[in-house]
Amino acid sequence: MDTTERDWVTELTSDDHDVRQGAIGDLRTFLVRGLRSAFLKKGVDEAFCEDIAQDATIRVLDQIDKFEGRSKLTTWAMTIAVRLAVNEFRRKRFQDVSLEGLSGEDTLRIDISSGHESPDANIMRTTILETLKSLIEDLSDKQRIATQALLEGMPVDVIAEKTGSNRNAVYKLVHDARKALKKGFDQAGYDWQDIHTAVGTGQ
Amino acid sequence: MTLSNEQLNILMKIVEGTTADSIDCDGCFGRIAEFAELELAHKTIPEAMDKVRNHLQNCPCCQDELNSLLDALASKQEPPA
Repeated sequence: MDTTERDWVTELTSDDHDVRQGAIGDLRTFLVRGLRSAFLKKGVDEAFCEDIAQDATIRVLDQIDKFEGRSKLTTWAMTIAVRLAVNEFRRKRFQDVSLEGLSGEDTLRIDISSGHESPDANIMRTTILETLKSLIEDLSDKQRIATQALLEGMPVDVIAEKTGSNRNAVYKLVHDARKALKKGFDQAGYDWQDIHTAVGTGQ
Repeated sequence: MTLSNEQLNILMKIVEGTTADSIDCDGCFGRIAEFAELELAHKTIPEAMDKVRNHLQNCPCCQDELNSLLDALASKQEPPA
């Protein structure tokens, strides 16, 4: 543990009521300041920062025996506060967005229409998009739905909440889908620069 | 649902940028405090933290959380002494 730092663990767990309450109050103030700095510009209000700091302080006290001292305690506490804030911010932002409109067969559809001036470019674009379409068809329904939701701007933790899953599982689902698509393109022998040029992506 | 050109663009970029990832979001969260302190101190990220860096490159949600954490920690505030 960083010995130049105030001994937060001792103070936060002190039997001395005044010492403990003083440390708790200081930590909470520190968290509020950080949350203001990171989240007020995203449109949240002061009450949001106060509430999250309060929840985070409680969680820090609950989990303080799990603090391993690999960072400053204040940094560790701020990671807890930021994750709570980000989760709440995302949950509110996407609370009215549903995944019900997404079905496995009807997601990640590709429009393979010509869009380039030269016939050669059109052939290349069509070939690559046909490959992508085929690779997408080989994904599972869950992989397609999660990937589509991600492309709609929905974070993995929100997708997890809406599908009754958890963040790690959804992340793995999407990551496996990405790996499968990349592997498919690599095995087909495409160069990524050629893909971006033909499809008009990557600018 | 047909992908828009913008979504197709994003999809192709994230597919191209996909690398092997040996930790999940919880694994990343467990080391993100150390990672953030190194970043703020402009120190070289050691190889031991490659797993974290790799996950951040693959996971926009964890990267977003790191950015918010750096904002929160870099607010010129000192922890109460």
